[in-house]
Amino acid sequence: MQRTLMLLGLFFCCIAAAKAQEKYTLNGYVRAASSGEELIGVTVYVKEKSNGVISNPYGFYSITLPKGEYTITYSYIGFTTKERVITLDKNIELNVELEDEFTDLEEVVVTSEREDVNVSSIQMSKNELNVEQVKKLPALFGEPDIIKSIQMMPGVISAGEGTSAFFVRGGSADQNLILIDEAPVYDPSHLFGLFSVFNADVIKDSELYKGGIPARFGGRLSSILEVRTKDGNNKEFGGEAGIGTLASSIMVEGPIKKDVSSYIISARRSYVDLFMKAANQDNMVYFYDVNAKMNWRANNNNRFFLSLYAGRDDVSIGDDFGFDWGNKTATFRWNHLFNDKLFANTSLVASTFDYGLGSSDQAAAFDWDSKLVEYSFKEDLNYFFNPNLSLDFGYQGTYRIFEPGKIDAGESSFFSDSELNKEYALDNSLYAGMEHKLSEKLSLQYGARLSVFQNVGKQTVYEYEDPQDNINPTRIDSTTYGALENIKTYVNLEPRFAMRYLLNDVASLKASYNRMVQNTHLVSSGTVPVPFNTWVPSSTFLKPQLADQYALGYFRDLQNNAYSISVEGFYKRFQNVTDFADNAQIFFNEDLVTEFRQGKSEAYGAEVMVQKKQGKLNGFLSYTWSKVERTTPGVNQGKPFLANHDRRHSLNLVATYDYSEKWVFGGSFTYATGRPITLPTGSYEYGDGYLPDVITERNGYKLPDFNRLDLSATLYPQKNKDRNYKTSWVFSLYNAYSQKNPFTIYTRVTEDDDGNVVGDGTEKEARLIYLFPILPSVTFNIEF
Amino acid sequence: MKTKYIFLLTVLLSVVWSCDEPITLDTSSSKGLVVIEGMVTNTDTRNFVKVTRSRSFYETGKTERITDALVTISDSEGGFVTLTHNPTNQPEAEGYYYATGDFSGVIGRTYSLRVEIGGEVYEAEDELLPVTEIDSLTQRQTTDEEAIEDFGPGPVYEVLLFANEPQDRQDQYLFKFFKNDSLVKDSQTDVYFVDDNLLGEEIDDVELAGYYNPDDLVRAEMYSLTPEAFIYYSDLSNLINSDGGMFSPPPANPRTNLSNGAFGFFQASAVATKEITIVNED
Repeated sequence: MQRTLMLLGLFFCCIAAAKAQEKYTLNGYVRAASSGEELIGVTVYVKEKSNGVISNPYGFYSITLPKGEYTITYSYIGFTTKERVITLDKNIELNVELEDEFTDLEEVVVTSEREDVNVSSIQMSKNELNVEQVKKLPALFGEPDIIKSIQMMPGVISAGEGTSAFFVRGGSADQNLILIDEAPVYDPSHLFGLFSVFNADVIKDSELYKGGIPARFGGRLSSILEVRTKDGNNKEFGGEAGIGTLASSIMVEGPIKKDVSSYIISARRSYVDLFMKAANQDNMVYFYDVNAKMNWRANNNNRFFLSLYAGRDDVSIGDDFGFDWGNKTATFRWNHLFNDKLFANTSLVASTFDYGLGSSDQAAAFDWDSKLVEYSFKEDLNYFFNPNLSLDFGYQGTYRIFEPGKIDAGESSFFSDSELNKEYALDNSLYAGMEHKLSEKLSLQYGARLSVFQNVGKQTVYEYEDPQDNINPTRIDSTTYGALENIKTYVNLEPRFAMRYLLNDVASLKASYNRMVQNTHLVSSGTVPVPFNTWVPSSTFLKPQLADQYALGYFRDLQNNAYSISVEGFYKRFQNVTDFADNAQIFFNEDLVTEFRQGKSEAYGAEVMVQKKQGKLNGFLSYTWSKVERTTPGVNQGKPFLANHDRRHSLNLVATYDYSEKWVFGGSFTYATGRPITLPTGSYEYGDGYLPDVITERNGYKLPDFNRLDLSATLYPQKNKDRNYKTSWVFSLYNAYSQKNPFTIYTRVTEDDDGNVVGDGTEKEARLIYLFPILPSVTFNIEF
Repeated sequence: MKTKYIFLLTVLLSVVWSCDEPITLDTSSSKGLVVIEGMVTNTDTRNFVKVTRSRSFYETGKTERITDALVTISDSEGGFVTLTHNPTNQPEAEGYYYATGDFSGVIGRTYSLRVEIGGEVYEAEDELLPVTEIDSLTQRQTTDEEAIEDFGPGPVYEVLLFANEPQDRQDQYLFKFFKNDSLVKDSQTDVYFVDDNLLGEEIDDVELAGYYNPDDLVRAEMYSLTPEAFIYYSDLSNLINSDGGMFSPPPANPRTNLSNGAFGFFQASAVATKEITIVNED
């Protein structure tokens, strides 16, 4: 053990000295009794010690205590707390199953323990999403979407409705690491962002880390969104089906061998085609998602998982033009207990994102493909020294292949075959993070991540006379590198620190610092990434992006945890933020590197979150005040400008109300300052009747403010009681008072309704695009 | 052509799902900035320099003409010509400067423009590159139902262009199409330009903008562009087709070869033209 640590080259000053007293370890998994699903984040509390641990992302817990008799409680929101009395005179393995609160209404156990993770946990700046609640909330076209809920969290900004991009604490949309079962998803959008790729039927748990990011995560500057899918019920066969306005889905799960192995498969497909205004033409658009997962508990020490995801969007316009994009991920995981204190998770991960454009028009026939593939090996270890000290450490190695674009021209096409340079990268990281309770009141989390990034061959790298000259890029030299030969290496150390100080039983102060490094850059200059975007690695021309974040927070629970409150402030500094020159040509550009500009950015803000998790009325209120400015040489004449996603105020209110066994009501309200926009200050004549705008300042104006109210009602028919299947109806009203919310503003020469230029064609107008008026929808769900 | 595709897409995306309505902008005004549009070609007729000023966003009518500029063009072989404001004294040519004698550009020469307005000097240069000949234009009856409705009754034709793109040099082109001597664009903001990065040698069956009826005289003009001019038209197209920076990049002023902050461009081009009169095949 010690040797491994030394090999890791990391520092640990506080490993507790072994005491003479005899100690034993209690460990095991915590699961849901109904489905056998492992539960993440269950509080395992030792009354006698007034101390406890939390089950890890695989449902495993381990706690080492002196010999003795203890009362242990297992508590988790939505489940009945379980209490066990244990005589610890040897190492004990104890798997615990918790009953669902709803299935067990008569036997309500009043818990004496606090479900006070909000206050007691060291982790700050983290939001958990309750998928069951998301399903009861109103949704666009009745399609529950966790990303839309993420966009309502404090510290998170959205670019507008109908987009899946989200912006965390001043970071841009590509600075979020989105993981599904540990595999990165490079584009989380369906239908250009109208929906996300996450099908609510299969999601078990999802967490967003915005600050104080633990050392086990790395690779993006601003946030980690971790989505875990269900393992599949290993007790009995079951399933769900939903028929929605826009998409339908089906999910089945069940044991392969009872209590030992299980599977879950789900599929979702849209029929958006019907909803396009242009439905009367030959246009077609659809998406689908397929999730499949299998798991096998060989024994208590060895568990295996295989999780697969594939999703795709397909759009065709007219007879001969089409495009498509999609993600595929695969994760193989092996959870192994080396001994009762050392837990290991070994993962093999593959992920790919690709998009294609194609035309079958004879003269202009072409087929364009762009792709990113990554393979990853990950070893995560948890070592539980004692209830006061635990260590996470591990390694991650990733190999990425970037294929920015390739054109296959049709036979009689005027295009020629062509391919942009492929790029390759190796990304190795080592990390270690210690969780350390120094006293009753003070707990620390400290660690670091060492990132060793290499841009490698096979590639020919050109040297430019002036690498910033994007008008006449002049290549003066070239170097060809062989396969895996090092082109450029970047080494970065990312320190992570977090602390929590308990002020009293119901309040705590938390502080954190983290440095994050990002070596994959999204080539996108719009506010919202479109799927036709490529990713590129750090290279000779692109330095790694860095972010340092400081955060401070006050956390408070009220009325025996019925309410939890958090107030946080953050300051974040970005270096080498990737941007693009004004007028950058980012589409199939062989000299793309000349368009790169890297600059600085500064963000700060304050967030408030009030949550109610108990009772008939549940929900939260979040408010964020934030500001983010960028300074990039070569952009906006080098002067600071507000980032595209700067929105001063953002307020969200979300609630569900369990009115009766039959009806549940939901509502959400959003208000946000308009996002910055670049508007013209004049226009002039040029060429054949063109009236281009005069642009003076990037993001110098703001769109009008945004506000929207959504309502929903879920009906569980009475007949459910007598049936062995359950049905429900979700009625949703999106944009209840039909507010015309601004999406963007564009300008044009004034046209009449038929698209004819008005008058002599010298009159210009600005037009505001807004997306959705009031939109009712119905979804029918059946659970069996 | 490539930029056209991405814009077609982004505009389509934002429009398919949405509604839009006019909004009044309350922005500061950049009135009175100098705009120069200069053109030297290897033909006798397409040579001019237009000097105007920008206006505030909501002004209408012609923009302000600058009529007292000193405009000269020189070339790399020592040629020099002074341009005169509106020599024929026609109201629609106000703001236009022409050479009074015979003047045309020569392929291979670099042209320099100098415009002096009230003591301020604006300069630019551009090279006159060779252009590729248009081999032929052919007509084909269209099957596009919308076009038949809009341009019928009677047969409606599209016109196809054929050319041989030289593969041994880097070329950029601008296209203009005319029906009976009036300019044709499919959409007001269309700019027809292309570079040959992705082009093969055989350019066959390329559809011209517009639809035509029997007896229409159709003319295609192909202008050679320097890389700088190509970038100007690409930026111009991006700007006038911008969605305001949602999916597309934030709007930005086109990069120009003009000095001293002037808007516009000074372009030297060789021109290839081809004509066809549509015959009734029915």
